[in-house]
Amino acid sequence: MGELDGRVACITGGTRGIGRATAEAFLREGAQVVINGRDPEKGARALAEMDVGDNAHFIAGDVKQRDDCEALIQGTVDRFGKIDILFANAGGASNHAPIVDLTDDAMQDSLLWNFWHTFWTMRAALGHMIPQESGRIITMSSVEGKVGKPAISIYVAAKHAINGLTKSAAQEVGPMGITVNSVCPGAIETDIMAVEGPPAAEAMGLTYDELLNVFAEESAIKRLNETSDVAEVCVLLASDAGAGITGSMISIDGGSSPY
Amino acid sequence: MGKNGMGKLDGRVAAITGGTRSIGRAMAEAFLAEGASVVVNGRNADKGATAVAEMGGSDNADSKVAFFAGDASDQATCEGIVDFAIERYGQLDICCLNSGGVKATAPVAQMSDEEWKLEVDWNLNHVFWGMRRALQHMIPRESGRVLVTSSIEGKLGKPGIPGYSATKHAVNGLVKAAAREVGTRGITVNAILPGLIETDIVRETGPESAVAMGLDGYDALIDMFAQESAIKRPNRVEEVAAVAMFLASDAARNITGSMFPVDGGTMPY
Repeated sequence: MGELDGRVACITGGTRGIGRATAEAFLREGAQVVINGRDPEKGARALAEMDVGDNAHFIAGDVKQRDDCEALIQGTVDRFGKIDILFANAGGASNHAPIVDLTDDAMQDSLLWNFWHTFWTMRAALGHMIPQESGRIITMSSVEGKVGKPAISIYVAAKHAINGLTKSAAQEVGPMGITVNSVCPGAIETDIMAVEGPPAAEAMGLTYDELLNVFAEESAIKRLNETSDVAEVCVLLASDAGAGITGSMISIDGGSSPY
Repeated sequence: MGKNGMGKLDGRVAAITGGTRSIGRAMAEAFLAEGASVVVNGRNADKGATAVAEMGGSDNADSKVAFFAGDASDQATCEGIVDFAIERYGQLDICCLNSGGVKATAPVAQMSDEEWKLEVDWNLNHVFWGMRRALQHMIPRESGRVLVTSSIEGKLGKPGIPGYSATKHAVNGLVKAAAREVGTRGITVNAILPGLIETDIVRETGPESAVAMGLDGYDALIDMFAQESAIKRPNRVEEVAAVAMFLASDAARNITGSMFPVDGGTMPY
């Protein structure tokens, strides 16, 4: 007996990292899951590794494209008949710099990747969830959605914006059986972090190891978080027991955030 | 492993201040279902015996649930429940400082020192006394979970219940400080912040609170809280218990110092 028996979940990203860990947790709890990514080969590999047959499905798409975001939600409904859970998980940021040197392109790319993708998938998912009067939307914010660090403003601004969107959405659909929450993880050494972390560190005047150490030292546990930490909170928020939790920004950061 | 559960708390021992009714009781049942042994608390021994029996326990040595009598406003009770749990079940893994409520309803300008002290003893000192005792046991073991039942009033404030708002803010501060003290020792310290729940305590004290807050009775009080939320209804004890179960489990080992909302979208942060 699973916490999510009979539910259908869609996760943006999901071939690796936090999205993958969450996909596996949702599958363990009885859900059917769509994962997403740009590369069909990575998608096929992820499906093979998860080895759950028809219960998992991959839909290729670039979350920076509105059409791909909308096709992902529609594709989930087409494949499994409905959508109960959206985890707008994909995100990251490239070309970090102090604001004074920041390019429009860097800001625009981060907003597309993090914020617009969350909006596009949320809007499309609500189109299905509101008529069925049930649903769970989980957005991927960050400890940087509550606080700020120098030289990574493109990420900090996008993650704060996601929290604002989450709170407004929660108020709009609260009486309709739909909850909307964000998860705010501390730093986790995911594949994306390994790619995007070193240039972010450089923009902050740090080495990559120094950056990871900054995050660990800010926390109470003095270590980084893990993908499973986030996955298990997502299960709780997606479950029936999570019905009374909405509009919240759940910290999964080892005690880093002040609120 | 308990009935219906997955054994996520097999072998653990929990102590819960309050716990014969409402939120604490729901926590106790959730912990028992996942395989823990549980000590609940309350002032009234008869209610305690009834609660233990209802949860499938007994006076026998093999009972998975036991009762410790005492007023959570008293230091002896807060320390005693920790000591009792260790004596009864050999250790303490999960300490839920859950008891609390509105003891005195009055605007600040009219509140007496005596009323203020009642609020501070029940909602704040109780948490400190219980947490200190529990940490003294948990630190050498390098393992433990401390859960404090705070409130949305730990971030907000309402007229007429200043003692409640102030003490719930204070326990959030205590939780954050304690989390940083023991974060590297395998111990997490978190607060849960429920919105209004129609518990027995709220049914008892709500009518007086409503008057102090200038509202037209108990129903108006409940409706005000419901309307402040996004879900337009009070929360439920099971919703809090599920979060407590999660925070007590291995899966939450990297979540600490947090103020976990269960408020249907009431708080702005």
